[in-house]
Amino acid sequence: MRSAPRLCCAVLAAAAGVSGIAAVRAANSATLTIFAAGTLAAPFRQMSALFEAKYNDVSVQAQFGGSVKMARQITDLHQDADILAVADYNVIPKYLFGPPAYATWYAGFARNAITFVYTEKSKYADEINAANWYKVLARPGVEIGRSNPDTDPSGYQTVQMLNLAEAYYKQPGLEQSILANAPLANMRDTETSLISALQIGQIDYLAIYRSDALQHRLKFIDLPAAIDLSDPAQAATYKRGVAHTKNGDLFGAPIVYAVTTVNGAKNSGLAEKFVAFLLGSQGQTVMKDNGFGTFSPAYAVRFEAMPTALKALVTPWPGASG
Amino acid sequence: MNTGVAVEALTVTLGAFRLDKIAFSLSRGTILVILGPNGSGKSVTLETIAGFHRADSGRVLIDGHDVTALPPERRNVGFVVQNFGLFPHLSVEQNITIGRRNNGDIPVPEQAKLPRGDTAALLGYFGVAHLARRMPSALSSGEKQRVALARAVAGAPQLFLFDEPFSALDTQTRAGLRDELLSFLRDLSIPAIFVTHDYSDAMALADAVIVLRDGTAVQSGAPSEIFRKPANPFVARFVGVENVLIGRVTEYSDGIVLVAIGDRVLRVAARCGAPSRERELAVAIRAEDVSIVATGVAASDQAANRLSGRIAEVRPLGALVMVTIDCGFPLKAYLLAPQARTLRLAGGSPVVVEISAEAIHLMRK
Amino acid sequence: MIRSAARNLLWRGSAPSRPGALYLVCWFLGSILIGFFVVPLIALVLSQTGTNLATVAAMPDVRASIALSIEGAFLSATLAAVVGVPLAYVLARTNFPGKAAVTALIDLPLAVPHTVAGIALLMVFGRHGVLGEPLQALVGLEFWGTLAGIVVAMMFVSAPFTVNAARIGFEAVDPRLEKIARTLGLSPWRTFLRITLPLARASVMTGVTLTYARSISEFGAVIILVYFPMSAPVMIYELFLRFGLDEAAGAAVLLLAVSLSLFLLLRMLAHANAGSREMR
Repeated sequence: MRSAPRLCCAVLAAAAGVSGIAAVRAANSATLTIFAAGTLAAPFRQMSALFEAKYNDVSVQAQFGGSVKMARQITDLHQDADILAVADYNVIPKYLFGPPAYATWYAGFARNAITFVYTEKSKYADEINAANWYKVLARPGVEIGRSNPDTDPSGYQTVQMLNLAEAYYKQPGLEQSILANAPLANMRDTETSLISALQIGQIDYLAIYRSDALQHRLKFIDLPAAIDLSDPAQAATYKRGVAHTKNGDLFGAPIVYAVTTVNGAKNSGLAEKFVAFLLGSQGQTVMKDNGFGTFSPAYAVRFEAMPTALKALVTPWPGASG
Repeated sequence: MNTGVAVEALTVTLGAFRLDKIAFSLSRGTILVILGPNGSGKSVTLETIAGFHRADSGRVLIDGHDVTALPPERRNVGFVVQNFGLFPHLSVEQNITIGRRNNGDIPVPEQAKLPRGDTAALLGYFGVAHLARRMPSALSSGEKQRVALARAVAGAPQLFLFDEPFSALDTQTRAGLRDELLSFLRDLSIPAIFVTHDYSDAMALADAVIVLRDGTAVQSGAPSEIFRKPANPFVARFVGVENVLIGRVTEYSDGIVLVAIGDRVLRVAARCGAPSRERELAVAIRAEDVSIVATGVAASDQAANRLSGRIAEVRPLGALVMVTIDCGFPLKAYLLAPQARTLRLAGGSPVVVEISAEAIHLMRK
Repeated sequence: MIRSAARNLLWRGSAPSRPGALYLVCWFLGSILIGFFVVPLIALVLSQTGTNLATVAAMPDVRASIALSIEGAFLSATLAAVVGVPLAYVLARTNFPGKAAVTALIDLPLAVPHTVAGIALLMVFGRHGVLGEPLQALVGLEFWGTLAGIVVAMMFVSAPFTVNAARIGFEAVDPRLEKIARTLGLSPWRTFLRITLPLARASVMTGVTLTYARSISEFGAVIILVYFPMSAPVMIYELFLRFGLDEAAGAAVLLLAVSLSLFLLLRMLAHANAGSREMR
């Protein structure tokens, strides 16, 4: 058949043409890939839009999930990411410093607090306040949701907070009585997947970050700073809170969000620019607007390993281990 | 009282189709054939009698019992369909024994010939004892028919219904099965209704025939009557009358009607009174009643019509030869093949035909 | 001998002119698809060492999750059969206003994103749900964090397979056979059980097997309702989060081995029964 060879040639030419166009287009625009913790979704999406507006021909693709999961996607699944931002600053040294070294430094750029959120449908919603919360949450029939301490920072942070609360309010058994209302059935791998359960009324209270409360416009309890892991200055106190997990005993630490660039990433120059944006005044404003606490300037670990352009925006982390 | 089967003014509506006031009765041991083209309502009639459609009005009586309101499993009928409908996942013996043995609704009369109560006897009567463990896919058509009958008989039916069982079979097999079926039915003496679109089935099996068209009975009677005296052109063509023509009555005298067809006039023996003059009629002439005479032969006594014309076509059909003659209107004649050879017929040659006045049948248009 | 076997395979039933060209193309394209299915699974299996598999198999959590998935899928398939087969029969045999809508509705769960399905089920079967609340009060049946919740999520996404396959099976049974059975004295029930269902059995079994397979692999809808106790897909996910790829892949291979063997067993059962009845 004579038309068959002709057809083949036409198809190949078209394919070459299309891929040629694609190659040219790729050279012009760059895609920045960010892996970030779920709770950073809202602020990072806003920042991506501002960043894309500032730098033309740049598109930012951000993926959100549990901090450990996102870290593992880099180390185990070898997915390409330029930036990793986590909810617990310990995740970066633990998983990425290696060997092999996927990252060599990190900067703490925002803080958060652990709290409980609820809706007007929740049991005892009209009664609960900052003084009696630990008694209300222990009442029978109250359903509390939280994330899995074995896989998610907010999970073990919740346990640590309750451990600290027991000492703070001098109520032995407080931790157990509240956890009794948060059985395995109410647990998920990340706390954000329980928000719909809260809104439907399947659970009454959800242990989650204050930033999420403000973002989702949920009521929350104002817990004392001594227990809600929000103040880096109280790190020594927080260390007394412990969570027993399948990964070992984890001790309380302030909730600091950390960011780093991934070694050998495709767009390292662009990644640096984004981190600079994040650590600068614009980024900090976005974080504040979304309910996070900020550091001015940000705290850095392994300061000497940081790119020069970023060093101006940070200060070495007082007392933090590498 | 063994009154057989009676259907009274049965009317059924199924979607857009309507079966209108079907009525007949059937005594024990007789076979009724319902004849009609596809879509005329034959299967609907059968299925209504079996109990699968609810009648709008009318009654079905079996052995004097009104079964119109009963579900099919309580009506005591045997149903045989195209390809015989044996259950493919059951053996012959399982097929036969799956149904009920005895129905509580209609009392079963004693019949010496009817083999009941004993599977082995039943299998033996129908000659399928050696097939008891076989699966239906391994049976021939004849064997399948016998198994289907045995299965139906096992339930002591008061009525047999056959829905075109031979439609998918070749002529040879069909003829053989028809004869065998006839002999079984005569032997069992159970009334049967047989539905078909093939009038040769009607001729072979029927004691009575009903012709259905679009849900209405257009003629009923003995097969020979339908065959020789169709009521209208539709029935005439359906039972294979080759010549159906339109003519006009010109005169009537002394039991003979003169009918003009084109510019020819035919003499027809009138059977039922004088038709009005100038009235348009349909004329039916069977091809075998048209005789081709050799030129020069004198008219026979009975011949009342002699027409001359030209041969338009000679078509051999195996044992018969069909000759189409143009005598002012087209006329078809049948000859036996040897006759045709003797006469040496050829297209275009002039020819004379004879048709007896008795052989022409007048019908309403 | 190989050449003639290959020739038989490729050129079966073809016309004299250009023998087998059509079959060649079909086999070529088809083998791409078969490769697409098989190669990733083989890669997964080969990535595991014997010791790794043994370690994972020794974890009681992993074994428990696989057993839970099998149990849930089995219940899901059974319930789907109980309510789905009768629906399929009605759809095959009757016409009614809105039949097209019902048919489309049955396929709807297949198009719903699994997370959405899970949330919708939670709204209905949860603590304050329109079915969940009365069921909890009357019979103490809960769906949040229980086997019942797993089964419900599995059934939602997989029952359509049973209905569709069973319907095709019933449509293939000649209605005249059912009519004849009735005239022989069988009630509509006995007709269904002794004639229709046995003749449609292969199709029904296929549908149920597909439902089982789809159930055992469901993740997105299940995890909304039930995280603990962990079904196998959830366990594999958690292993990935806690330990990494090796352990997760190990558990995945175990689940695959168990699911596949059950699946193949069911398929063989369905076809063996159908085959023994037909003597073509």
